Amino acid sequence: MTVSPPSGAADPRIAALTAGAAGVWLWSVPEGRLYGDARFADLYGLTHEALAAGVETDRFFASIHADDRMRIRIAVAGIMHGADLFSKEFRLPTETGESRWVSANGRAERDADQRVLTFGGILTDITEQKRLEERLRVAQSAGGVGTFEYVSGFGTVDVSEQFCRLLGLTTTDAVALRAVNATLAPGFPPLIGGGEDAVDGAMDYRECQIIRPDTGERRWIARRGEHRKDGPGGADRFIGAIHDITAFKTAEASLRELTATLEDRVTERTRERDRVWNNSRDLLAVIGPDGGFRATSPSWRRLLGYEPEQLAGHRYRDFIVPEDRAQTEAARARAHEGENLSEFENRFLHRDGGVHWITWNTSAEDGLIYAYGRDITDEKARAAVLAETEDRLRQAQKMEAVGQLTGGLAHDFNNMLTGIIGGLDLVQRRVAEGRLSEIGKFIDGAVKSAHRAAGLTHRLLAFSRQQPLDPQPIDVSALTRSMVDLLRRTLGEQVSLSVIADDGLWPAVSDANQLESALLNLAINARDAMPDGGQLTIEASNVVLDARRVAADLDASPGDYVLIAVTDTGEGMPADVVAKAFDPFFTTKPIGQGTGLGLSMIYGFLRQIGGHAEIHSRPGEGTTICLYLPRAAGAAVAPGLTDQTPVPAAGAGETVLVVEDEDSVRLLVVELLDELGYTALAASGAEEALTHLRSDRAIALMITDVGLPGLNGRQLAEMARAQRPRLPVLFVTGYAANAVVRASFLGPGMDMITKPFAMNDLASKIGEMVERSS
Amino acid sequence: MTGQTVVLSELEHDALTELVNIGVSRAASSLRNMVGEQVTLSVPSVEVVSRKAAATLIQEREAGSLVAVRQDFSGAFSGRALLIFPEANSLALVQAVTGDELSPADAAAMESEALTETGNVVLNGCLATMANMLKRPLTMALPHVIRGDGELFFELSAREDDQGVVLFLYINFSISGRDIRGYIAMLMDLPSLQALRVLIAEFIERVMGAEDLGQLGQQG
Repeated sequence: MTVSPPSGAADPRIAALTAGAAGVWLWSVPEGRLYGDARFADLYGLTHEALAAGVETDRFFASIHADDRMRIRIAVAGIMHGADLFSKEFRLPTETGESRWVSANGRAERDADQRVLTFGGILTDITEQKRLEERLRVAQSAGGVGTFEYVSGFGTVDVSEQFCRLLGLTTTDAVALRAVNATLAPGFPPLIGGGEDAVDGAMDYRECQIIRPDTGERRWIARRGEHRKDGPGGADRFIGAIHDITAFKTAEASLRELTATLEDRVTERTRERDRVWNNSRDLLAVIGPDGGFRATSPSWRRLLGYEPEQLAGHRYRDFIVPEDRAQTEAARARAHEGENLSEFENRFLHRDGGVHWITWNTSAEDGLIYAYGRDITDEKARAAVLAETEDRLRQAQKMEAVGQLTGGLAHDFNNMLTGIIGGLDLVQRRVAEGRLSEIGKFIDGAVKSAHRAAGLTHRLLAFSRQQPLDPQPIDVSALTRSMVDLLRRTLGEQVSLSVIADDGLWPAVSDANQLESALLNLAINARDAMPDGGQLTIEASNVVLDARRVAADLDASPGDYVLIAVTDTGEGMPADVVAKAFDPFFTTKPIGQGTGLGLSMIYGFLRQIGGHAEIHSRPGEGTTICLYLPRAAGAAVAPGLTDQTPVPAAGAGETVLVVEDEDSVRLLVVELLDELGYTALAASGAEEALTHLRSDRAIALMITDVGLPGLNGRQLAEMARAQRPRLPVLFVTGYAANAVVRASFLGPGMDMITKPFAMNDLASKIGEMVERSS
Repeated sequence: MTGQTVVLSELEHDALTELVNIGVSRAASSLRNMVGEQVTLSVPSVEVVSRKAAATLIQEREAGSLVAVRQDFSGAFSGRALLIFPEANSLALVQAVTGDELSPADAAAMESEALTETGNVVLNGCLATMANMLKRPLTMALPHVIRGDGELFFELSAREDDQGVVLFLYINFSISGRDIRGYIAMLMDLPSLQALRVLIAEFIERVMGAEDLGQLGQQG
C-alpha cells in the first residue's frame, strides 16, 4: 500500500502559509517509514530531505527527550494496539541543550481488519504556551489566586487547581457549578452564575464566606472578574479570579471591634477616673504655675472642711500653717521644674482651725502640678505616742538593768567584803590571842579582797566610760601566770586549772587591769558552769587571721593576734544563749548573783582595743571563749598592779588638816600622816574644820572629802581660802563625776585623789603638795 | 492527587491510560458500526482513587443527577464497571446513537434500552480489549442501568471497610458532532488492582522490547 506524505505539497502556497506554524508527520506502518515536512524536520533536528524521503520509524522516538520517550512509546503502542487518538505533549532537545515543548495530535488510519495503515498528525511548538502556563501556575500558587471560566447555562466551571485548593475541592480542571456554590456559607449569594452577575463588563467585587468541604473550616474569599458576551452562541462568559482574604477580614474585624469599643472604653476610663477623683479618701489637687488651685477633689471638704469653690482660684499657701509656707513654696518651685515630690510633708489648716499633717506626692505636666496628699495627722500622733512609749520602755529597761546591776554588784561586793571583814576579824582575834605570827596571811587575804573591790569599781567606771582604758603592750604569758594563784583560789578545789602559755607569744595590746578582770570573770563563769567540778584550761597562742577566715567567721580585721582561749568542761550553752551571751545585762544567773555585764564588758573591752571575742559552745560539751588581742608593735611592759614599794617617810612635823566624815577613812589618813611624820588635825565635818582654820595654827595642807554633809568639800575649800588664801587643798572623792571634771573644779594649789587610793599614792600626793607650798 | 489510595508509577499510569484508550477506541469502533456515524471516544486521564474520593470527584464535577450503566466482571481482575453520564446528557446520547431518528418522546421511552446497549458496547469494548491486550480472559455479566448519585454508585454507605479502589476515567464522547462528557469507573478490590498492575508491567515490557512499534499495529 502506498501512502503519500501529507506534506501539503499539492499546493505549495498552502504549504508556504502553514510552514513554521506546525509540522506534519506520517508514519507508514506497512512501509516502516516515517515522513515529515520541513517544520517537523526542523523541530526534530533532521534534514528536510531525509524526512521527505522517509526515515526509519524509530527516529520518531530518538529525538524525544529521554524523560518523555517511554511515555510516548507507550502512547504510540496504544495507537498500534487500537487506540484512535493520539494527543501528547513532550520535549524535543535542541542543539543548544534547551528543550522545546511540542504538542503532537494524531490518529491512526486502519484497514477493514483494523490493521493500522498510517499514524499521522500535527506537531506544534508550544514552548511559549508552556512557559506562560508555568508562569500562570506559579503566579496562582504563589499569589494564592485561583481562576475560573464559566459559560452561562453550563453545569460545570473550568477552573485552575489553585481555585480548587482555595475552596477545598478536589483539584481538577472542571467542577460542577453546584459544587462551587455549595461551598458558600449560608446567606451568601452564589459565587459564580448568580443572576446579578449577568451584566456586561467588570464583575462586581464580592467577598463571601465559604465552608471548606474537606476540612469544614470557614474562610473568606474575594472574587473579581469580567463578563464577556463571547461564549458559544453568544452566551455570557465569565472569567474571574478568587483569593483568600481571611487574614485581612480577621484583621478588619478586630479593627472594627477596636474602633467600636474605643469610645466605650474612653467613656469607661473617664468614668473610672472620675470615680477615683470623686471617691478618693486622699486629697487630690491640680495646682497652676501661680500656686493657685485649679481643681480640688471633694475629699478636701471631708478632710479639711473646704468646699471646692472655696478653694478654686485661691493660692494653696493660704491654707498652710505659716511656719511651713517657705519650705512648701520652695518645694512647689522644684515640682514646677519637673521634680516629682515624694512624701513631702507639711501642715494644712482645717477650716475649724485644726492643724493636719499632709504628706504629698506630685507629678508635673504641662505646667500644672498634680498633687496627691494623704492626711498623716493620726499617724504623726501615733508616732509621738510610740516614741514616748519607747522612752518609757527604755527607762523601765534601764531601771531593770540598774536593778540587775546593783543586785550583782552587791553580791560581788559582799563576797569581797566577806573576805575583808573575815580577814580583819581573824586578825583581831589572833591579836587578842597574841598569835601575831599568823596574822600576815589574813591581812594579805583582806588586802587582796580589797584590791578586787577596787578593781570592780574601776571596771564599773570603765563600763560607764568614765575611766579611760590604758592600752599598752602586755606580756600575756606573764600576766596569765601571775594570776594562777588567784584563779585557783577562785575556782576552788573541785576545778583543776591548767595554763598553757607560750614563751614566744607576741606582746598584745591590752589594758592589764581589764584583761585580768576579764580572765577572772571568765574563770568565775566557768566555775559556775561546772558545779560538780571539772577542768579549766587557759591557753594563749599566736594566731594570724587571714582575710578569708575573717570574712567567713569574724567581725574583725585580718592581722596578727594573741589568742587567749578559756575552755571549761561544763554544761555548755545552747545556740540561743550563745547568740545573746555578749549582750549587756544578759545573764543566766538568778537575780543578785550576776550583773549580766561580765561578758558584755569583756566584749566591749576587746572591741575597744581593736580585738575580738567569740564563743564556741554546745550543751553538754563545755564552752570555749576566745579572746583575740591585737599584736602590739612595742615590747611588753611588766605586769603588776600592786606596787609593793615602802611608803617613804617624808614629813617634818607639818600640820595637815583632815576633813572626812567617814570615820574609818579619816582614821586611815590620820594614821598614815602620823606614819609619814606629819601632825594630823582631824575633823569629821566642815564646821569642825572651820574652827581649826580660824585658829592661828599653821596648817600646811587641808585634805578634805568632797561629799561632806552640810557644806561640801568645795564650799569648805572656798571658805578656807578666804581665811588662808594660799592653803593647799587636796580633795578626796569617791564620785567619779568630780574626777572627770577636775579641771573646772580645781583652782590653783588644789589637787584631787579618787577613792579608793593606795596609801603610796596619797603619801606622794601629800608630800608633793606640802613641799610645793613650803 | 487527593484521595488517591494506590500510587501507580508514572509509567504504569501512562500505560494504564493507554490501555483504557485502546479499549474505548475499540468501543468507539463498535459504536461506529452500530450507528453508522462518526464516533470518537478518548480518555484524557485516569486516576486511581478511593471510593469516597471517587464519589466526591463526581459530585463536585456534576451538577445534576446521574445515570449509569453497571456491569460486573471477573477473571484476571474482578470488579464492577460503571459508565456514568450526567442525566441531562443521557438523552442526547440516546438521540446520537439512534441517529436522531426518534422523537424526543420516543427517545425517552427507549432511553434505558439504548443506554444499556451503549454502555455494554463501551464497557465491554474497554474491558475485553484490556483483557485481550493483557492476554487474560475476562467474563462480563449483563449490564443494567441505575440512577442516582455518586454515593449510591460507589456504595459508600453499604461498605464500611473502604479497602477497594476505583479506576476513575474521564471520557469524552464525540458522536455526530455532539460532545458528551462521561466517566468510566472501575471498582476493584486491592488484589484485583495488584493483578492489573502485573498485567500493566507486562504490557510495558512488551512495548519496551518491541524493535518496531509498527509491528504491534499489524497484529490486528
